[in-house]
Formats: sequence, C-alpha cells, structure tokens
Amino acid sequence: MTALAQPKADAALIAKMMAGDESALSALYDRYAPMLFGMLSRVLNDRQAAEEVLQDLFLQLWRNAGQFDPGRGSLPAWLMVIGRNRAISRLRGRRDREVLEENEGDFAGTFASSQNIEDEAARAQLARTISAALEKLPAEQRQAVELAYFEGMTQSEIAAKTGTPLGTVKTRVRTAMQTLRQILG
Amino acid sequence: MTTPHANPEDLDLYALGALDGEEKQALETHLAGCPACTQQLAAARQRTALLGLSAPAVAPRPQVKADLMAKLKAEPRPVPARSSAAQPAQSQIKKIRWGLRFSFGFGLAAAALAFATFELAKSDLERGKQIEQLQAQLSQDESSLQAMNQVTAAPDSAIVTLLQQPGGPPGQAHVMYNARMGMGVYAGQLAPAPVGRSYQLWLVPASGAPVSAGLVNANQQATSVIMHLAPGLAAKAFAVTLEPEGGMPQPTGPKVLVGAAS
Repeated sequence: MTALAQPKADAALIAKMMAGDESALSALYDRYAPMLFGMLSRVLNDRQAAEEVLQDLFLQLWRNAGQFDPGRGSLPAWLMVIGRNRAISRLRGRRDREVLEENEGDFAGTFASSQNIEDEAARAQLARTISAALEKLPAEQRQAVELAYFEGMTQSEIAAKTGTPLGTVKTRVRTAMQTLRQILG
Repeated sequence: MTTPHANPEDLDLYALGALDGEEKQALETHLAGCPACTQQLAAARQRTALLGLSAPAVAPRPQVKADLMAKLKAEPRPVPARSSAAQPAQSQIKKIRWGLRFSFGFGLAAAALAFATFELAKSDLERGKQIEQLQAQLSQDESSLQAMNQVTAAPDSAIVTLLQQPGGPPGQAHVMYNARMGMGVYAGQLAPAPVGRSYQLWLVPASGAPVSAGLVNANQQATSVIMHLAPGLAAKAFAVTLEPEGGMPQPTGPKVLVGAAS
C-alpha cells in the first residue's frame, strides 16, 4: 500500500497548495530542494546565485500550482528542467531559454514520467545509476555531455572551448546520449 | 507522402540544448508540425533532466527556506487555471468564437462611431478629406473582418485563454490563432494601461524569442486586434506585457496576461 501511495504524494501536496496551504510548499521544498540545489550549485558555482534561483523556482511553483496536473507530468523533472534553464540563463546572460517559459503552464504532459523520482530512495538509486553511467563513458564523451548540461554549451561552443573539430564533438555527444538513453529508458 | 520523424538523438541533443545552427532550425521546423515528435521530445526532456541528479544533492542553508516562506506571505494564493480556463471545453469553444467575433465587431463599430462623431464636429472645408480617410478606414476594417472570418471559420484554429498574472491588473482575454495562416484574433478586457505605457501582445514560439503581435490598447473601446504573423508560425503561448508607449521589439515589461497554447 505504501509503495502505491508514495507516487501520489506530490499530487496531494499540489492540491493542498492550490488551496493556499503553505505547508504543502514547505514539504515539497524539503523533498526537492537538496536535489535542485546540488544541480544549481554545480551550474552556477555561486552559492548565493543558486539560492536565489532555488527560491524563485519554488515561488513559481506556488504561483502556477493550479496549472500542474500530476497525473500527466513529473513535478521533480519539471523543477529540474526549469531550474537548469534559469541557472544557465543567469550564468550566460541568455534569456532565450527562459523567456516566458515559466509561464507556459504546460508542465502537464510536457514531462512524461518514466522514472519515479518522487520517492527519495528511488531518487538516490537513480542518481547513483546516472553517476555510474556517466563515469563509464569515455572521458571526452562525459566532458562533452557535462559541458552541455552544466554549462549550457552547444556543440559548436564545446568544439571551440575544447579545440576539437565540430564533427568529433557531435559524434561524442550523440554517442554519449545514445548510451544514456539505453540506461535511462 | 509522409515526413520522416526526427532522429531520437536529435531530440536528446535538442533537450540538452546542445543542438545549434541548421540542425536546430530544421528540428524546430519539424517539431512545429509533428505532434508525435513533440511527444518524443517530452520524453527526451525527462531523460535530460535526470542528468542533473549526477550532481550530489546539497542541503541549502535553513535561511533560504525561511526567506522563501516569508516571501510567500506577499504572494496571492495559487489560482486553479488549467482545467477550466486555459483549455476551454468543446462546449465553450463555439461561445468563444462568437464572443471573439462580437468583440471584434463591436470594436470596429465603436471606432467607426467615434470617427464619425469626430467628423460632425469638423468644418465643411475638412470634410472631403476626412471622408476619404473614413473610407480608407472602413476598407481596412473590411479587410480585418475578412481575416477574422477566415480565422474563426477554420477548423484548425486554436483558442487560447489568457489569464491575469499575480500582482498584475485584472483582465482576461481570448486568442483564436491559426498557425497555418499565421493569423489570429485577440479579444480581451484589461484595466486601462498607465499613462505612457502600452499593452503589447506576444506570440511565444516553441523556441526562440517572442514575436510581437501588436498593441492592445485597453484605453480605447476597441479591445480587439487582428494578428498578422508569418504563415506556419506555431505558438507555444501568448502573452500580454506592459511596455513603454508604442511597444518594444522584445518584451521588457511585466507579463499581465498569459495563456499556454496546447
């Protein structure tokens, strides 16, 4: 019963948030803030900036709670995507990733949930799986994926930064993502 | 003849933000007309998001949460939106279509009436010239009415409801938009814009910068606008922002109305 009830926890908290219950946001913060803050800190390498993005992200969640349909999307995935976009925009002074994105309200159905990361134990297990998968990649493939994910670089930018031919970078990123796709499903 | 679907690796790279240049442009063009690949992109985004889990979880300082909870006190309560407003039920669509037509027609009539009243107060010497202007105005209006009829009659036109934003002026609007034609009709109600400011309507594409769809001047009775954009331009969302008078090339001010196109 517990295993079945756990995935609904986000849904219940979102419903409470829609009723104006601040404790629901508090609970979601406790659940996801460490995961998000780890990612934001890695992207921004600036504690204060990461804290500000984290706060903005949860404020946005509060404002848009009514637009989220937990049955059709994964809240932690949405938080990770929007959080990363905001962090990279801030890091690079680029607005194109986030222009109005926070208002799209379309996180229902946007992030099909194939992985259960609501549950802390499952999330920790998945984190280990992903870290191990990245570790197993050849160093240059891992570097290319990490530059793209954590620094928001395009293939051309990675090529310029690493002094590698663009075609080689493309092959590395594609091969790496192919491997990760097989692991992550 | 069917268009081949996007390569899954391209979707992964796009979700990662690594795709650029012609490859990115070609994929975005494909995505604009391919719901199946758009759905696959959702899965790719999910996968890509998970890469962030490779960064070790770090608990933020307790003060961060304390500050957040303090900020909540200044926030309005969340508003349930999606089921009832952002996606109108089929039974509401016909009503909205007529509402858009009525609203737009009313706007034109009001503008024409205001113009005609103004005309009566003028001297005979100016009348000939001004009648020409009125005729030109009516001709333009007729063209707009034709455009509106095209959009509202097309079965592939979509209706988007734009809702007011927290802390913004009260208001609501509907946009009926046809991506194939690149045309749409906006009709809405907004509190008057502050002096020296204009409301500006934006189409937000799936990627790239928002595209201006014209000014929405709530200070006049004509609260409807016909949008003429590039044919084939798909919308992810529509938004109205408050800008310096006359509008801006890109949004700079606060969002006052927003609606997601689904």
